[in-house]
Amino acid sequence: MIRKACFCLCFIMQNASSPDAYVQAKVAAVGAQLMKRGWLEFPDAEKDAFLSEVKQAVLGNHGVDAQFMGVNFLESLVSEFSPSTSSAMGLPREFHEQCRITLERDYLKKFYCWAQDATLSVTNKVVECDSTAIEVKVCAAALRLMFQIMNWEFQCNKSALDLAKKGLNMFSSGVRNDTVMLKKSECVLVQPGPAWHDVLISSGHIGWLLGLYGTLRQKFSYDSHWLDSPIAVSARQLIVQLCSLTGTVFPSDNGQTQQHHLVQMLSGIIQWIDPPDAISSAIECGKSESELLDGCRALLSIATLTTPMIFHQLLKSISTFGTLSLLSALMCEAVKACLANNNEEETWSWYARDILLDTWTAILEPKDSGKSVVLPPDGKSAAANVFELIVQSELNVAAASAFDDGDDYDNIQTSISVMDERLSSYALIARAAIDVTIPLLDRLFSERFSSLHQGRGKSDPTRTLEELYSLLLIIGHVLADEGEGETPLVPEALQCNFVDIVEAEKHPVVILYGSIIKFAEQSLDQEMRAAFFSPRLMEAIIWFLARWSATYLMPLESGKQFSSNKHDLQHEPQLTRIALLSFCGDQNQGKLVLDIIVRISIITLVSYPGENDLQALTCCQLLPVLVRRNICVHLVTLESWHNLASAFANDRNLFSLNAIHQRSLAEALIRSAIGMSNPEASNQYVRDLMGQMTAYLVDISSKNDLKVVAQQPDAILSVTFLLERLRGAARASEPRTQKAIFQMGVAIMNPVLTLLETYKHESAVVYLLLKFVVDWVDGQIVFLEAKDTAVVISFCMRLLQLYSSHNIGKISLSLSSSLLSEASTDKYKDLRALLQLLTNLCSKDLVDFSRDSDEVESTDIAQVVYLGLHIVTPLISLDMLKYPKLCHDYFALLSHMLEVYPEKVPQLNSEAFAHIIGTLDFGIHHQDTEVVDMCLRALKALASYHYKERGTGKEGLGSYASGLMDPNGKLQEGILSRFLRSLLQLLLFEDYSTELVSSAADALLPLILCEQGLYQRLAHELIEKQMDPSLKSRLAIALRCLTSSNQLSSSLDRLNYQKFRKNLLNFLIEVRGFLRTM
Amino acid sequence: MSDDDHHFESKADAGASKTYPQQAGTIRKNGYIVIKARPCKVVEVSTSKTGKHGHAKCHFVGIDIFNGKKLEDIVPSSHNCDVPHVNRTDYQLIDISEDGFVSLLTENGNTKDDLRLPTDENLLTQIKDGFAEGKDLVVTVMSAMGEEQICALKDIGPKN
Repeated sequence: MIRKACFCLCFIMQNASSPDAYVQAKVAAVGAQLMKRGWLEFPDAEKDAFLSEVKQAVLGNHGVDAQFMGVNFLESLVSEFSPSTSSAMGLPREFHEQCRITLERDYLKKFYCWAQDATLSVTNKVVECDSTAIEVKVCAAALRLMFQIMNWEFQCNKSALDLAKKGLNMFSSGVRNDTVMLKKSECVLVQPGPAWHDVLISSGHIGWLLGLYGTLRQKFSYDSHWLDSPIAVSARQLIVQLCSLTGTVFPSDNGQTQQHHLVQMLSGIIQWIDPPDAISSAIECGKSESELLDGCRALLSIATLTTPMIFHQLLKSISTFGTLSLLSALMCEAVKACLANNNEEETWSWYARDILLDTWTAILEPKDSGKSVVLPPDGKSAAANVFELIVQSELNVAAASAFDDGDDYDNIQTSISVMDERLSSYALIARAAIDVTIPLLDRLFSERFSSLHQGRGKSDPTRTLEELYSLLLIIGHVLADEGEGETPLVPEALQCNFVDIVEAEKHPVVILYGSIIKFAEQSLDQEMRAAFFSPRLMEAIIWFLARWSATYLMPLESGKQFSSNKHDLQHEPQLTRIALLSFCGDQNQGKLVLDIIVRISIITLVSYPGENDLQALTCCQLLPVLVRRNICVHLVTLESWHNLASAFANDRNLFSLNAIHQRSLAEALIRSAIGMSNPEASNQYVRDLMGQMTAYLVDISSKNDLKVVAQQPDAILSVTFLLERLRGAARASEPRTQKAIFQMGVAIMNPVLTLLETYKHESAVVYLLLKFVVDWVDGQIVFLEAKDTAVVISFCMRLLQLYSSHNIGKISLSLSSSLLSEASTDKYKDLRALLQLLTNLCSKDLVDFSRDSDEVESTDIAQVVYLGLHIVTPLISLDMLKYPKLCHDYFALLSHMLEVYPEKVPQLNSEAFAHIIGTLDFGIHHQDTEVVDMCLRALKALASYHYKERGTGKEGLGSYASGLMDPNGKLQEGILSRFLRSLLQLLLFEDYSTELVSSAADALLPLILCEQGLYQRLAHELIEKQMDPSLKSRLAIALRCLTSSNQLSSSLDRLNYQKFRKNLLNFLIEVRGFLRTM
Repeated sequence: MSDDDHHFESKADAGASKTYPQQAGTIRKNGYIVIKARPCKVVEVSTSKTGKHGHAKCHFVGIDIFNGKKLEDIVPSSHNCDVPHVNRTDYQLIDISEDGFVSLLTENGNTKDDLRLPTDENLLTQIKDGFAEGKDLVVTVMSAMGEEQICALKDIGPKN
């Protein structure tokens, strides 16, 4: 094969001067592939001989054209050996891995040196002649090759790096070795290891490279296109890549060498980016932006490798200002240019801004344990400058877009998720210079606030509203973090600053959020609301209040810390912290603010009819934050909260909320009952709140003319909303309110059944009814005592039967295919709800908090669930099982039942039993591995149950295992035999995922043990079918090994299962190949 | 058509108006709505605003429940929409006549003979086939805004 590779090489060398570059590149790639194919087989000597030929070419000994080809060939070779760019060869992964390792170990560095030598050999020419000479091409190609090698994912020293991470640290202080995961701009670390030290560091390579680029840049400064020429691009790529150089390539001298290296890099790069204003205006006049962007990328690389202090110092050693100041100036230029370009996307300033923003994030992202980063003083002011400009530009953008019409702008949820990354970066910058930025934000906010008032009635406030909207989003991000389900803390930077301020009222953070709350409070005034508080602005306010409340409103630690640290009052920083934390704590302003927030919530629900987005924010984001346990204690004492509750129970206004929001609102209101002083009060509160609603349902369902009334749209609407509310209440079940919620459900059990009958054609109502029962049972079942359990279960069974009687055999007819598919989706959702209901019932056997004594006759849950399955199964058609979620739920429930309660199976009637068996049969041939796996587990459970029972002389599965007479008097095969047959068939002849072999083994072993006779017969048949004597004996031996090797015994214990898994795997490896080709 | 009068009466009896007003913001997917004087099932709702700081409006996509045609409408979220009164009644199928009418048994023992079979071949065969197989069929008749149509059928066991 090496011959062929030689041939390829010779071909491209001989035709080196031909103009057909594409053919040559392809031939080089083929040569590289051939080389790789034979890589592990060639003797080293041959490889070396071949590569030394290449080397001669690369060094220029065969002329410039050949040199160019040689470099290209090496490039193909490296790319072929790098896993991410290798071509598929149909060889094992390990082969690629081996190739990669040996190339990295033996050749990569050599290639790099050759490329460098190649560059050196042509440098003089390149510097002298114009940019079209062939030498320039060689130089560009060699630089590209070097860049490509630096892009290699070095692995050889991975273990060393791991050691370094574990604490045997060789280059710690100052240079950090953790990486910030950056989302937007790719930034990889280059860690070639100690072997590369001589080439890259000690040989003056960097200086030479920077010098080369600098010289060429100087020379071609007259040519505006040169910056985008291949040679310039490759050189810059290599330089940027070398900025990411880190790891053991540097000696362990506390990062000295690496710092020195970075300073050197920076001194070369600085010409690309400094002075920012001049460069920016040159670009606006037509200069290429690529150099500036590469400079920004280099800064990003450096930022990921250093701490903020070091980063800042790097430039100071060669210049009058620090790196952060340069970064800030660059960023300001980029932002200004963004603004000037009228926010056209895809301009250079956009890219530059994003890269630089990532750089700031890399610098400021808190590393370990959320400790915020501290910047040097001039770094701080640099951050403050940048932040001020950013906010200004965001405000300008907002003002400019205020009158944008059309449907293409986003609502708050989307605008936040789109901007979130950017806003969090802004927040990081703001927090780095908190003593400037917080007062700035307050000033900007107050200015807008007062300009609203001044312009009232005189000018259109829309611009200002949009600016406020944008400010609220920014301030929200600066002041508080996203909790993501946890309770977020006050950001460290805000806690630790402003140490000289002891009075909370004067704390800038408190002042800032105070003015926002004061502003929000004005929305309570009707005139103000009509004039200024547009739905969109309210959305931002509610969003802000939710985010703010999660962090600042009655924080859990405020009370505790306040009291425990009282004696420690001299300690000033601590004092400031406490002042900030406890200002809205439960002993302070907290309750007052809580009241304001609740009143604002009521306003958004009542006074903004039809504003679904706003109401969604209130119900789904703000209220859940307020019903945390520590806040509820105060919430339930507020008059405003009781106003909300009574409006909810009585006010028609709240009836016009969207159904989903009704549910969330009910959930929040009921959940707040945990704040009541005692269980009686909590239960009474729930009864008062929900009493009218259950009464209405009872009333409507007992009407004589229900059939007529019920179909009217307004009746449907009322029933839907009430059910949503009840469902919300059911979801808020807590041990404390369990009793009242149970009674609520019991009261409407009969109405639910009546309504299910009445609304059998109204799929939306049916689904709601089912979902209410599902949620109610879910919240209640584990607490119920035997008597109540029986009531609930008989209700559920009646529900299932009723649903089934309405839907079995029903066919929807419609001209519209989309209405038909809607109908089948509705059915799917119903069935899933029914399965969830059964699953919830199942949980009673696993978790039970009731205080029943054993004497009380308790319901047999397993039997009930089997009955439920029997009712539901016929409704599930094969088409329905194409819905993956339904399919999973169904098989999960079934296999759970068979695994946990195999002893109930013999008691099932034959029809129910046939359903189950049919389902299993279908399931083991399903495409979804998980489904098959669940069925196999069920089979294992059935067979092993039977085997163990028979072992103790009992019936086991009885007639179901031994075979049944069917109605026609024919003997039907027992199910274990049937499954033994089909499982063997599957394993030997059909397609399946190999992951399934072990669970198949677990099912097969007990089946074989149960049906020894049949198994022997089947094995015999199998052997007899083989014509080829050698295969025949192979199969016979394999079958014998399957049941006898590894000292397999006939017990069903863990050890034996394990042995059988191994046996089965070996067996399949041995025989499947030839059995399947028959 | 002896039952014509009776039928007319029962319609008047229901007395209910054909449509009801309901706030647009509360109409959900799967609900009903009147668009361009046709009763529709809502298959898609989206909201947007009239200008950034304006009020919300709802965009509905509905499918005519009788002819399956797609219709769209935009309504301010706080305004009312018309929601059709959609009624569904089950009847036992007694006969399919050759002139394209069905004969249905009402709950109180009368027959209803004024309902035409669907003209669509596909639907027609589904009904005819079931009937021809001798199954006992219950058909559900959907009526709204003065129109009616068979919308579902259900097999309740073999005909005795």
